[in-house]
Amino acid sequence: MKDLKHLYYFEKLLEDANNDLVRQAKAEGRLALGYTCYHMPEVLLNLDGCFSVRLRAPRTGSMEIATYYMSNATCEYARALLERGLEGGYKFLDAMAGVDVCECMNRGMENMELLGVSDPEKKGFFWCNLDSPCSDDEDCVAHLREQLSRKILKPLYENYGIDVSDAAIRKAVERHNEICRLITEIGNFRKLDNPTITGYEFHILTLATYVCPKDLVVEKLRETLEELKTREPDPKKKFRAKVVVVGSEIDDPELISLIEDSGALVVADRFCYGSFPGRQEIVLTEDEDALTQVCRNYLQTTLCVRHCAQHKVQKRLDFAAELARDYHADGIIYEQIKFCTYWSYERALASHVMHNEYNIPTLSIDRPYMSRTSGQLRTRVQAFVESIEIKKIKAKKNREVK
Amino acid sequence: MKYFGGCDVGSTYTKCVILDEAGKMVSDVTIRSRINSEISAKEALDQAVAKVDGLSGIGDLAYLIGTGYGRNKVPQAQENISEISCHAMGVHVVDPTVKAIIDIGGQDVKGIAIDQDGTVLNFAMNDKCAAGTGRFFEAMARAFECTLDEFSELSLSAKNVIPITAQCTVFAESEVITLVGEGKPRDEIAAGIQQSVAKRCFVMAKKAGAKDHITLTGGCAKNKGLKAAIENVLRIKVTELPVDPQLMGALGAAEYARQKGMEQE
Repeated sequence: MKDLKHLYYFEKLLEDANNDLVRQAKAEGRLALGYTCYHMPEVLLNLDGCFSVRLRAPRTGSMEIATYYMSNATCEYARALLERGLEGGYKFLDAMAGVDVCECMNRGMENMELLGVSDPEKKGFFWCNLDSPCSDDEDCVAHLREQLSRKILKPLYENYGIDVSDAAIRKAVERHNEICRLITEIGNFRKLDNPTITGYEFHILTLATYVCPKDLVVEKLRETLEELKTREPDPKKKFRAKVVVVGSEIDDPELISLIEDSGALVVADRFCYGSFPGRQEIVLTEDEDALTQVCRNYLQTTLCVRHCAQHKVQKRLDFAAELARDYHADGIIYEQIKFCTYWSYERALASHVMHNEYNIPTLSIDRPYMSRTSGQLRTRVQAFVESIEIKKIKAKKNREVK
Repeated sequence: MKYFGGCDVGSTYTKCVILDEAGKMVSDVTIRSRINSEISAKEALDQAVAKVDGLSGIGDLAYLIGTGYGRNKVPQAQENISEISCHAMGVHVVDPTVKAIIDIGGQDVKGIAIDQDGTVLNFAMNDKCAAGTGRFFEAMARAFECTLDEFSELSLSAKNVIPITAQCTVFAESEVITLVGEGKPRDEIAAGIQQSVAKRCFVMAKKAGAKDHITLTGGCAKNKGLKAAIENVLRIKVTELPVDPQLMGALGAAEYARQKGMEQE
């Protein structure tokens, strides 16, 4: 396929947390608010006058200092963020909106605060460690609402004078929804028999929407969507199988590239920093205040493995199977970043259930934060692709015999 | 007569097998891998081709498939297939009764369950760690100041097993040096090392779903002490293959090349 016109532009934006668009927005006087997790409602960090930056640590090398503070048996994502923070990579931020959702991120955030990774010159800077509920009933909604009001909206208003009114939240939701509509429409091209967008390209676009001010990427996204409407696919399919990737956070597009180089086109993404969930519209009514509705939306749409009630576990399994069906995938890759406690349980269970009960070929992998050089991973994915191909050939032969 | 090649570029050894139209192995070569996979593959292929009267160069092979870590660097190969699929096919060709493989290569350990037609039913593989691989044994032999062959036989005479607690290659080497320094019997330390690797193989075999009719492939399959330890841990007899187990990846690749080459006609 011909290269997407703006792909290089979007790739460049992912090379540094403090990228060109972040710097542009900061120069305009807006506040950059760092966050790490879906459980921090991104939309509330995008009120007029501020914008969200979901933190990444691109080009991570040694994590010795973070390992000293957190030990080597902790999630590399949390350690990479701490290391980058200690290197001074997040000094551009005006607040850090953390969530107490897992032990590793909790420790990472606590260390960042104690070790002073923020800019001391920023007098309005505030740290937040939000207590996010593990379920979605109305008590949980009320609890989350209280936490967000006190730990995010109040300091935004008091420290920086940001308008946190109901009208301001509704306006932020509208902006958020526009990005979601574009990403959804772009993602739908992955349902084609011969998709006109690769998983790598889609992940680049999606990631850009997490790490840049929304209003500054929207025009290029619109142009990309128009380009995709007429983009010619490769005459001969370059992939040998289609897969859904399900699992813990992936903010390294090189992992998707590695999977696709091994023959498996990634047609759907159910992982943190992906589009499911995260890039679906938030529908607000006039019957209730916007903040409560936002809280309910995030709690009900989350597919996070820390929600461990049985109906939530079942919902996640069904959703993965639905994605495989809707996007015509041949299999599912369950991935987990090393030392992620929640996903180590979910991956073991789900990969078994998917294979044995849903009859969907499943590959289960664990991986480091940066995995581009892993020969073992390439071999595993390629062998998985080959096994899918062989199953298809056998099924075809069986049909011919009948 | 047409000939078909399989070239397995591993991290420590590069293997090449050439088959004729009937599937008979007419040439095989094993050389130490160089840092450059392409050069390793070319050297092995050149040597293998030179052994066959009807061939004057790599280009004369009707179909060539690469496998192993350097699989995409094999010159003039029509395609590459993962070593997991190739080991399964290679073993199936030489002994169709085998249902599972423990493949211990230079830098990884794999458990592979084989279907009735030689394709892969399931597999499990270690991640980025050299524990229990060929590299591990090289480090252990170095610690004992002996050759790999001497090391592989050392544990067979042990009356006891001194457990090795470290899984990491670097720490295990350090632990072994300490034990040797303390004057512990060398054969019993060696038996401990073989047992620790055998346990790792047990995990891979079980993860892949292996139950019976298991064989060993890869360079470490020639390690007699390890074979004995695996039989002890798995509580079953490991099936001996009639062909060098280190060649199974290359043989599987050559067999796939033969099938694909014949299909093209």
